[in-house]
Amino acid sequence: MAVADFIISLLTFIAIYSLFGIGLNLKFGFTGLIDFGHVAYFMIGAYVTVVLTMPAGAAGYSGIGGFALPELFGVLGPLGSLFGWVLGVLGGMIAAALVSLAVGVPTLRLREDYLAITALGIATILTTVVNDEEWLFNGPFGINTVYTPLRDVFPLSLGGFTLNMAVFGILSLAVFGLTGYWLVRVFQHRGRRGRLVLGVLVPLVAVWYFVLPTLSGGMVELTRNTLWLFDPTAGPNGGMDYDRFVLLLSVAALGGGYWITERTINSPYGRVLRAIREDEDVPRALGKETFQYKLQALMLGSALAGAAGALWAINIGFIAPDQFAATITFYAFTAVIVGGTANNKGVILGTAFFWGIRNGTRFIDVPSQYSIQLAAARLMLIGVVLILILYYRPEGLLGEQDYDIPLPSRDASGGTDDV
Amino acid sequence: MSERNTPTPTPDATPTDSPAVGDDRDPILRIEGITKQFGGITALDGVDLTVDTGITGLIGPNGAGKTTLFNCLTGFHKPDDGRARLYETDITAEEPPAIAQHGMVRTFQIPRELADMTVFENLLLAPMNQHGERLRGAWVRGDQFVEEEQTIRDRAREIAAFFEIDHLLDEPAGSLSGGQRKLLEIARALLTDPDIVLLDEPLAGVNPTLEQKILGRIEDLVEDGYSFLLIEHDIDLIMDNCERVVVMHQGAVLTTGSPEAVQSDERVIEAYLGGDDV
Repeated sequence: MAVADFIISLLTFIAIYSLFGIGLNLKFGFTGLIDFGHVAYFMIGAYVTVVLTMPAGAAGYSGIGGFALPELFGVLGPLGSLFGWVLGVLGGMIAAALVSLAVGVPTLRLREDYLAITALGIATILTTVVNDEEWLFNGPFGINTVYTPLRDVFPLSLGGFTLNMAVFGILSLAVFGLTGYWLVRVFQHRGRRGRLVLGVLVPLVAVWYFVLPTLSGGMVELTRNTLWLFDPTAGPNGGMDYDRFVLLLSVAALGGGYWITERTINSPYGRVLRAIREDEDVPRALGKETFQYKLQALMLGSALAGAAGALWAINIGFIAPDQFAATITFYAFTAVIVGGTANNKGVILGTAFFWGIRNGTRFIDVPSQYSIQLAAARLMLIGVVLILILYYRPEGLLGEQDYDIPLPSRDASGGTDDV
Repeated sequence: MSERNTPTPTPDATPTDSPAVGDDRDPILRIEGITKQFGGITALDGVDLTVDTGITGLIGPNGAGKTTLFNCLTGFHKPDDGRARLYETDITAEEPPAIAQHGMVRTFQIPRELADMTVFENLLLAPMNQHGERLRGAWVRGDQFVEEEQTIRDRAREIAAFFEIDHLLDEPAGSLSGGQRKLLEIARALLTDPDIVLLDEPLAGVNPTLEQKILGRIEDLVEDGYSFLLIEHDIDLIMDNCERVVVMHQGAVLTTGSPEAVQSDERVIEAYLGGDDV
């Protein structure tokens, strides 16, 4: 496997879990709701989307549905199928939001620590029900007939081998260019830390990504890593394979989730959420119906987790209850705390950090008899890093984000309007 | 200050047999038989009171039930018995947000600034029913959103200047001094555009210069149409600044009246003022 393939799989993971983490951040980081049951909405999003989109009477499946939404809209062509799948995802998100509404109404009046433990209990019950009730979603056997949108279109070929290589190659290089531009913009003004990232880390990563594979795999490896969107072995003329499409889809979904969350937070609405986090009595004394805000934040965060679940399903191609253990919630909490609570960029950084260590270290070459120790060491490493960060930077790597409600500038007002 | 739109009191809101303060005016707040018990302790024992426009002082020894009365009036505690009306609205069973929406807001005895938010944000939070406080308003952001946010920012700057905390707008509220926090609390309460503000010891721990400043501000605001119910321990300060005084003792209203009348009331002297001290 080329390094590029591994990176694509890792980035897809990171994008999906970042979306999941952003949902958690809306609840925990911005509103102060400790939802230890966040993974339940990930599961609901995955299951409901899969059941809504897969065909009825799938082999080996004895649960409810499927409802074949893409097939229904498929008469309109591939875009119709895609629309059907998007409807399915929306259904998954709505289901997650509705279940969180049902959970939230009785629990949100509880003090935060009781809320945390109750949410954990309810999530465990939901997972157990999905696992034990085979009539519902096939129980422990899971669902392996996950509908994958636009599957027939991939590997995407635009014509001959050279054309494919040129087009996807240029797109690949453009992504590198944009990433480089972004890195320079973000880090050039950051003093010593910025120089460290730009001057040391970027070249190190570049050597690892471009030079080392060349030593072992020659020009083929170099080409595959450089023109990463192009897979020469996909189809007769090469092209973009489905994994790369899932990555792009996940990144787009993450972008959407990020945008809507930022829009929510950087607004008077977000001010109320943060006031609730700080001291709920204050907004209450000022006439804000805080219970409704908490409920809405819970539902919105859960809907984002549901969307992440839908992407998870098409990325893995198989879902089963044991994929949605409570530890997934705590991984997300770790990512949020490491990156910076109440910071959406921090969540993405924290998620990249967490899954980078957790999955990246799988490829460290160790003799097989040490593989168990490596697995344990991986978790220990995450634990040690978490402790170090909490000790030296309790606010997380990036700290809480700044808030800004952009308004058209007025000549007379003057002063900073950043709030 | 923005326009005051004080609701017209209905005829049945005229004083009845409860001890009225300043009978010549229409009461804003009418409290009848409010009782609150915590376990075996009766914190409020049938409080009867009417509060009119202007500044009303609420005094009494520690444990007299002043803050508990505030908590019951603003919905933070549910009274076991009795009834409270704000103008014609029965607010006894209402939750704090609804009571604030009706036009009565409070400050807290220990200032509760939102420490990690800036002073500006603390103020911007206060105005009620903002368009952008609804999800749809926050997402869509039409002209109304922009105009409203501009207006609110202007008002917040204006009131911050009024309380002389405008140089601190971008600071986290947690970095303010004790006195500044008190000012922020009052400013925040006023930005909700209330009819009456319940101030719980706004002057405790405030230095004399600032104290006079706050009192001056409150008097200015009374002229603008605001009313205040003020808990305070400094008896001279109450006597000098309040038009009417309510004295509470052991969970009940001992007496009400003008500062002079209260000061010379023997029961008050015995229970609170301590004989020769006055």
